[in-house]
Amino acid sequence: MTALLEVTDVSHTYDEAVFEGVSLSVERGEVLAVIGPSGVGKSTLLRLLALFERPDRGSIEFEGTDVWAVSEGQRLEMRRNVGMVFQEASLFDAPVLRNAEYGLRVRQSWPDRVRRGVADLVGRRNGTSETAREALSVVGLEGKEAQNARSLSGGEAQRVAFARALAYDPGVLLLDEPTSDLDPRNTALLEEAIDEARQREIGVVLATHDMHQAERVADRVAVVLGTGIAEIGPAERVFEAPNDDRTRKFVAGELVY
Amino acid sequence: MTGGALLAVDALPAFVDLPFESHYITSIVRVSLYVSLVAVAISTLFSLPVAMVVGFSEFPGKSLVTAIINTGMGFPSVVVGLVVLFMLSSSGPFGPLGLVFTPEAMIISQFVLATPVITGVSLAAVTSVERNVRDAAFAMGGTRLDVALVVIKEARFGIATAVLAGFGRAISEVGSVLIVGGNIAYADGTSYTRNLTTAIQLEARQGRFETAMFLGAILVALVLLVNAAVGRLGGSGRTR
Repeated sequence: MTALLEVTDVSHTYDEAVFEGVSLSVERGEVLAVIGPSGVGKSTLLRLLALFERPDRGSIEFEGTDVWAVSEGQRLEMRRNVGMVFQEASLFDAPVLRNAEYGLRVRQSWPDRVRRGVADLVGRRNGTSETAREALSVVGLEGKEAQNARSLSGGEAQRVAFARALAYDPGVLLLDEPTSDLDPRNTALLEEAIDEARQREIGVVLATHDMHQAERVADRVAVVLGTGIAEIGPAERVFEAPNDDRTRKFVAGELVY
Repeated sequence: MTGGALLAVDALPAFVDLPFESHYITSIVRVSLYVSLVAVAISTLFSLPVAMVVGFSEFPGKSLVTAIINTGMGFPSVVVGLVVLFMLSSSGPFGPLGLVFTPEAMIISQFVLATPVITGVSLAAVTSVERNVRDAAFAMGGTRLDVALVVIKEARFGIATAVLAGFGRAISEVGSVLIVGGNIAYADGTSYTRNLTTAIQLEARQGRFETAMFLGAILVALVLLVNAAVGRLGGSGRTR
């Protein structure tokens, strides 16, 4: 069976992050946690998966198609099957609902977008709002639609960022340390939302340095140490009985880098 | 608002004994607004894409382009007037267009003066938009145009300031419009290329200080009005 997302022998250098020969795959409805110490290149890997840039070597395939072997238009369609939440919420200076709708809006044709803009001006909403409202309800933000996103707390902002990515129902959801700055309550709410994404058959890649979180939410774990993946496998097995010696030390909290 | 202002000026002689005909003032205000608003509108349409390209692209000579924009912000207006006059005069490359001493020539000179200001301030505004906001727009499936629109929207207050600064530079400028426009009025006193600044200069030189002061007050009121309008737009955008 073809994987939803497959990375094969990818090597890349970005700023100070260097990794070589990275291979992994994600299936629909699966949460893959990418764990490793800070600065090892987890964010760089996720940026490659989000197609921000082309890897120096290796291939990235969505449903069996090499994303860098197709036209720019086809790549845009593939890119639109990916959602991403960054470490910082990165919300726009606009109401919460406008933020949550953004991915839906850019997928509309320009005539529809213009019509939507006019409808907004005269205060008549259309169907896209309902999808975005539903995504906001997944992260527990009903009633906040009209509030300016910049006035939210850090936790609420990050939940809006999650809803913004969830709203357009992507095939793959990339989460780059989404809870690293959050309190336990907001962390729990986001982890529930991750579980909701899994139930919607979305393939989730979660980059985190929080091993406990990886253990709680992930089906499989890829441990990135040094310049590559030291070990990848079912979360329970990687945390309970790692095959790789460096993974065992890392999981045990020992210094391996 | 402009129409209202003109009506108000038309109505003034009924209450105040002004030393001029009302249509003299209204025609001067019309020329000023026409020239400056058109020049700033064209300049904004030109400046924004330039600011986006310079701000977010890497190309050879980028620092030179930035230096030219910054230098242009303080460029002497009389020199701009001289260059535009040379280009538009009958012996110049654009002489056959017959634009010299017309309101359109004044638009061209004000465009040249306002563009570096609008581009420079817009450049600072768009480059101040955080990279993670651009990344989010891209990651949500935005095209380059979508990302550019997000940047413009995020930088809207800075861009409004840029347009306002450009309008201030254009409408208060006297040197170049005097050279390329000629400060022409018809025999009945109606303005052809006479705007507020060139009229103030003329009236003051001829010793009609009351008229010059009145024109000066209108000029200040116009700038304040535009300032307030832009501020109001910015304020409503913030709460929407």
